[in-house]
Amino acid sequence: MNILIIEDEARIARRLERMTIEFFASKPVTISICDSLQKGLDQIRNQLPDLLLLDLNLNGDNGFEILEQMVAASFHTIIVSANTDKAITAFAYGVLDFVPKPFDQERFFKALTRFVSPALKVEEDIKYLAVKKAGQVRLINITELIYIKGAGIYTELHLTNGRSELHDKSLELLHQLLPDQFERIHKSYLVNFSQVEKVLVNTGTRYSVLLKTGEVLPVGRSKYKELKNKMI
Amino acid sequence: MKTFQRLYKLLNSHQALKITLYIYIMHNLLFLLTLLSALTRPVIRTEEPIPVYKTGDNKVWAAKDYDDKDWSQTRGNTLDRIFWSRTHFELRPVENELKPLGLQIQSFGAFEVYWDGVLIGHNGQLPQHGKPEMPGTESSYYRVPDHLISPGFHTVALRSSQSFFPEVQRSVDFKMDSYTVLLTKPLVTMSYMNLMAGAFLIAAVYYFFLYLNSRRRPWDTLIFASICFLFFVLLIMEYLKFHVVIPYTDFFVRLEIIGWLTFANALLVPLYFIIQFNCKQGKWLMGALLITLVLLYIVHYGAYDLTARLYSLAMLIAAFIVVLNGIIQKEKGGFIALAALVISALVNKSVVYDFGLFISFTVIVLSMLYLHSIRASVIETEHQNAVLLSSRLQLELLKKNIQPHFLRNTLTSMMDWVEESPKEGSRFIQALATEFDIMNEISEQTLIPITKELELCRQHISIMGFRKEINYIWEEVGIDEEQLIPPAIIHTLLENGITHSEPLPGNTVKFVLSYFLKEKTHEYTFETLAENRKVMTKRTGGNGFKYIRARLTESYGQNWTFDSVATENGWISTIHILRQ
Repeated sequence: MNILIIEDEARIARRLERMTIEFFASKPVTISICDSLQKGLDQIRNQLPDLLLLDLNLNGDNGFEILEQMVAASFHTIIVSANTDKAITAFAYGVLDFVPKPFDQERFFKALTRFVSPALKVEEDIKYLAVKKAGQVRLINITELIYIKGAGIYTELHLTNGRSELHDKSLELLHQLLPDQFERIHKSYLVNFSQVEKVLVNTGTRYSVLLKTGEVLPVGRSKYKELKNKMI
Repeated sequence: MKTFQRLYKLLNSHQALKITLYIYIMHNLLFLLTLLSALTRPVIRTEEPIPVYKTGDNKVWAAKDYDDKDWSQTRGNTLDRIFWSRTHFELRPVENELKPLGLQIQSFGAFEVYWDGVLIGHNGQLPQHGKPEMPGTESSYYRVPDHLISPGFHTVALRSSQSFFPEVQRSVDFKMDSYTVLLTKPLVTMSYMNLMAGAFLIAAVYYFFLYLNSRRRPWDTLIFASICFLFFVLLIMEYLKFHVVIPYTDFFVRLEIIGWLTFANALLVPLYFIIQFNCKQGKWLMGALLITLVLLYIVHYGAYDLTARLYSLAMLIAAFIVVLNGIIQKEKGGFIALAALVISALVNKSVVYDFGLFISFTVIVLSMLYLHSIRASVIETEHQNAVLLSSRLQLELLKKNIQPHFLRNTLTSMMDWVEESPKEGSRFIQALATEFDIMNEISEQTLIPITKELELCRQHISIMGFRKEINYIWEEVGIDEEQLIPPAIIHTLLENGITHSEPLPGNTVKFVLSYFLKEKTHEYTFETLAENRKVMTKRTGGNGFKYIRARLTESYGQNWTFDSVATENGWISTIHILRQ
């Protein structure tokens, strides 16, 4: 497990480190601390972390410009910041949690628990998914999403305008970030429920959904019942 | 009657209507007055009656029909001897309303007046029995008996002496009108002029008090007060002849005084405009104006009316130059002043000097009054802005310690210290409390002792040491503990230094504050010895420098400089404050 802390306050960075070690107790974790955004970015280039703990306001640099890049990456980001008024914006960008400073162990553990339990959904609304394309980061409004398909280590975002984009995050991580209307209907599909026209039952107890766009997506056997209940 | 009552009610309920009506009536009245005076036909038909003179004394010379063909048209120098003058003119038939008729004589000397041989009065006393002459006044009035004013030719004979200024050749002027009109007309004119004079006196007193009570002692206010006062005196002097009997011997004294008053105003009015319109070549212009005025005085010495006219012409030209320059410079009120000058010039050209000068002066002074009010409102706005800025800076200072980035990071570190090593933690809390105390103490001041500022910085360093766990070193060089400084400007530099520096090997960052007393300035340099952090994103900052500049302006106006640059060893900021 690789965890990166970007925090310019040495004492706070050490506090995060200590608490993280305590949280993971028996599990082996590697923690790196960077005291500037530049060093953090270099570190990410060297080795992708599994989790990023990020302070938004570092040495006068505005962390929000970096945040877009971070949330587009494969790993989850937890913001630890004094700028509590930025929490809603941070969630809109798709962070896993926002830990306001000052924080105690309980609050920080809650954020880490969210990280280790993908089933725990983010309570605040995400508004955008950040997508990296040709070195640029583009924000996609989640209302434009029809469904997301898992494709190896990537995911494909299928959009209302008929195009699709690749995202670095796994289907599990995106499912955790996206609101309830996004349903996991198959091990490879996450669908925007409002885009579903009806559930189809095919021969041989195979199920699928017909989307408003006319596309048909497979439904996992275990997911069918859940889906059926939701439809009614 | 009913209509009248209704009108009265209407007027009572509408103040504005009342004022409009008043202005309307006054306007018409003035118009009527001008019209009447223009229409009145002169009583004396002869256009310019020419007196003839003879030195000597003979009562027979008073007679209406005495033959004065061999008399001279010039008087010559009569020394202290008695001489006679005889003037013939024709009267038109006179309406009854004009009776009794009066005769106004404008002349020097002392004299007895004979109308067709009848003595009708005297002005001063001629020398007699060894007693010297008692000078008469320049303008005197006589009632002419009704039975002597038949239409046709009449003779006015003056038995005169002019012991003082015997060489001055001043002609004798006659004017006839209703006796009461002759006596009251100057009083009416004077009453209006005194009204104006009173207004200028009030303005002079008011602006003079304003000047005395202003801490800044603004020059323009004093000049304006002086102009108003001089103008008041000018008006009084001009009409002094109507309420004080001035012997002809002092006639020129009054004119001389009027001349000098006009001279002074001709200098002060352009000077005022120069100040108001920030005229950069003002000194040269004033020099040129002064030379011109002195030259006019010398060249036209004794020609009082002409000199005064030329003075005011010079003044107008100078004022025009300044105002046009002001308009080019886009100064406030330029067009108003220009309009006033144009009106003034037109009035000066078209109305007789006596009134023309005063009306044109009044227009100019009114425009100056307007300019002054503009300026006063500008100053008021500036003052309000300064007050606003001060309270904004006060707020900014207080915010330094409660803004979330500082406070929440400090509290988080503090939590950690308390949890991990309570003893250190309480030292940390102590340092924060002290910084809060100092901030609280200095927040309402615009200048604080440098020692306070240093204490604040040391507390801040101690707090940041706890937070960043960097070994911050603070050094002071040559600090003069007597000096004052705007609050938290070094503190702000320190904050910037902490934020933008990476520690050197050995985990140290060093700050050095030095003070030098230079020849003209107090110099503070604040040096950060560290590695400068690379800037990654666009800074929303710069607020720190804005704060420093605003504080320096608040206390020192323009008399300071502030520079802040990267160096090989870190960063250096320099503040120069001009020595008082």
